[in-house]
Amino acid sequence: MFNAIVSADTLRTTLDSVSVLVDECKIHLEADGLAIQAVDPANVGMVDLSLSADAFESYEADGGVIGVNLSRLEDIAGMAEADQLVHLELDEETRKLHISIDGLEYTLALIDPDSIRQEPDLPDLDLAAEIVIEGRDIDRAVTAADMVSDHIALGVDEAGEFFYVDAEGDTDDVHLELTREDLIDLVVGPAHSLFSLDYLQDMNKAIPKDAEVTMELGEEFPVKMHFDIAEGKGSVTYLLAPRIQSD
Amino acid sequence: MEFAAFAERARAIEGESADGAVREAVTELLRAAGDELPVVTRYVQGRVFPAHDATKLDVGPSLCYEAIAKAAGRNVSAADVEARVAEVGDVGEVAAAYDFGSQRGLASFGDGGTDTLTVAAVDARLRELATAEGAGSQDRKRDLLFGLFTDASPDEARYLARLVLGEMRIGVGEGTVRDAIAAAFDAPVETVERAIQVTNDCGEVAVVARTDGEAGLADLGLVVGRPVGAMLARAGSVREALDAWGEAVVEWKFDGARVQVHYDGSEVSLFSRNMEDVTDPLPEVVEAVERAADVPAILDGEVVAVDDDGAPLPFQEVLRRFRRKHDVAAAREDVAVQFRAFDCLHADGDDLLDAPLVERHERLRSVLGDEAVVSTPDLSDGPDEIAAIESESLAAGHEGIMLKNPESAYTPGRRGKNWLKRKPDVETLDLVVTGAEWGEGRRANLLGTFLLAARAENAGGAGADANSPRFETIGKVATGITDEELEAVTDLLEPHVRSEDGTEVDIEPAVVFEVGYEEIQPSPTYSSGYALRFPRFLGVREDLDPTEADSIERVERLADRQ
Repeated sequence: MFNAIVSADTLRTTLDSVSVLVDECKIHLEADGLAIQAVDPANVGMVDLSLSADAFESYEADGGVIGVNLSRLEDIAGMAEADQLVHLELDEETRKLHISIDGLEYTLALIDPDSIRQEPDLPDLDLAAEIVIEGRDIDRAVTAADMVSDHIALGVDEAGEFFYVDAEGDTDDVHLELTREDLIDLVVGPAHSLFSLDYLQDMNKAIPKDAEVTMELGEEFPVKMHFDIAEGKGSVTYLLAPRIQSD
Repeated sequence: MEFAAFAERARAIEGESADGAVREAVTELLRAAGDELPVVTRYVQGRVFPAHDATKLDVGPSLCYEAIAKAAGRNVSAADVEARVAEVGDVGEVAAAYDFGSQRGLASFGDGGTDTLTVAAVDARLRELATAEGAGSQDRKRDLLFGLFTDASPDEARYLARLVLGEMRIGVGEGTVRDAIAAAFDAPVETVERAIQVTNDCGEVAVVARTDGEAGLADLGLVVGRPVGAMLARAGSVREALDAWGEAVVEWKFDGARVQVHYDGSEVSLFSRNMEDVTDPLPEVVEAVERAADVPAILDGEVVAVDDDGAPLPFQEVLRRFRRKHDVAAAREDVAVQFRAFDCLHADGDDLLDAPLVERHERLRSVLGDEAVVSTPDLSDGPDEIAAIESESLAAGHEGIMLKNPESAYTPGRRGKNWLKRKPDVETLDLVVTGAEWGEGRRANLLGTFLLAARAENAGGAGADANSPRFETIGKVATGITDEELEAVTDLLEPHVRSEDGTEVDIEPAVVFEVGYEEIQPSPTYSSGYALRFPRFLGVREDLDPTEADSIERVERLADRQ
């Protein structure tokens, strides 16, 4: 059983956070809210999202799982104004999702959840450094790195107590330093890892510019980025596996 | 089996040149394949899906290059990969030369998880890749491939890249695999051969050979709903046929598309020669078989496009129907098709592959009854009578005749001496070479595909306005040329090269080829308004200069006479 009403804005934010990594996903319809975990086809990037029942105007669910085509659902959500309400109701018989927006009725065929790629267990990582940073600063770093390279290195300088971003191109390089003052918070620890820029770019698209992002970083370890959505009633965690520096 | 072990053995096989050693190495590979035997049996031939399965990965070179570039490390672009492939001539070699270890997968940070690839894991991911469709599917395919390359060692990457592009090229064909299955699991080669023909899946045959041996293989039969290879004909003469067989079954040769009909007693499925399911595009064939057939059967025949008077239309019209996915009803209004059954592989529980042709024809008539659906063969021992049948066929607008050995078995997928296609001889054309393409791989230093042109009328004959002759293109020829001839032709053409763009070469009219063909068709592709069907190189007309080449006028005359 699933019957919920949510603002189009919240629904879109939720879907966008996941669709930057995958086209299809499983949505767990828990009694206390939605939960989505998904990993990209190459097993490199992962998203872990939860949206509390409080984020909805009304919410009823009893623990089922549905599989959805995200771009289809995004298109439908796109039919609504930001402040309009979207009514979602699962038809258990036909396994279809009925969506209504101000008189517009859409019946969405669902995907067999078993046919959707299984997400790996969230690895338990002990990451030494923690950087709390504004979404717009991540955007700035990613944009600058993209001008010269398809890789991006993130690290913390323990002695200088700053967070840095490096990108090396064939001819040009980019270096960005953010000190404790530029950041919201910084826990210094040994941290330096290299990442594929295009994954970080995709994740960046879904991070609100004014979000407070908690980034956890280690030595050649995945980076974890955590931020809230829906005015704190939901949260997103991205995990991105590093590239090992051989050159 | 770990994919690394497969790759290592594939490398060893590639290094062998003697047939016997290759066969032995493949035999050992099959013995070592374990649970993944069916997959390994296919992969070693560069095949991801069984032969009866038309599913395709649909991964083109550019998508593969993008995935390689993404996995290859810092600032490598798809264009870099493409340039290296052009230089090296083998995508496997290029993939193996990059360092793919750099991107880690998330799984390697979990509980004891690793990125080690098994053959089964590769297969699961390639199958997932094949299911991707619709918006964003190209990106998803690229990312899946990227994930695979990321987990691959250099040797694994070499064979992964070749496998996804369908260019395994380690010298292992169906025959080698057949012999290796026989040797590995101690079964007679003929039994394995027959099993592969009826199942159309060497992976399944390998498994049956291993578990149930010769007896198990002998029990394998045709399965209604699973297509097998079509028996093929080669060109031949009436004389040849009558000398060999005494008398011949003579059938009209239809200019259509080969279709295998599977009827399970309630539903009809249709398959094209490359095993694609063409049931939906051809509803009238389905209806005709449903009306006529009364027992489960597998039939072989030709689908022909016909005009309002029932006269046959050119082959392309049938193809238009084959490719139609939407608005089938409208297409059906435009071009009607008819089915002509000429063979029966299975009827009412009996496999008939080994039955003589004349007996199969009897079963065909008993299955369908309806004369309209069955091609009507004649049995003849007289050249004059056969010539008369041929004239009738041609007069009715068909392609000529087929000659078949009345006693012959049906050999799926084989081109043998028991079916001969006799067609009226067509005249050849002398055409000017106005362009070419550089070859690939081993032939990268040779011109390969040649653009042909006919002389435009106002260019006149030798002398008349010969200073500015105009040529209009009519097709490309790439077959019928030996390696030696290619070298000679390249030497002949190279001094006349005007410009090059990638592999495309523009050539000034200087050299004339004699070209054979099956048919001249109207076509918007070439500037002459015509195209040649199945053009083949017959020789260089060194005695002719371009102004003496055949004119478009002559092409038109020949086209009208067809």
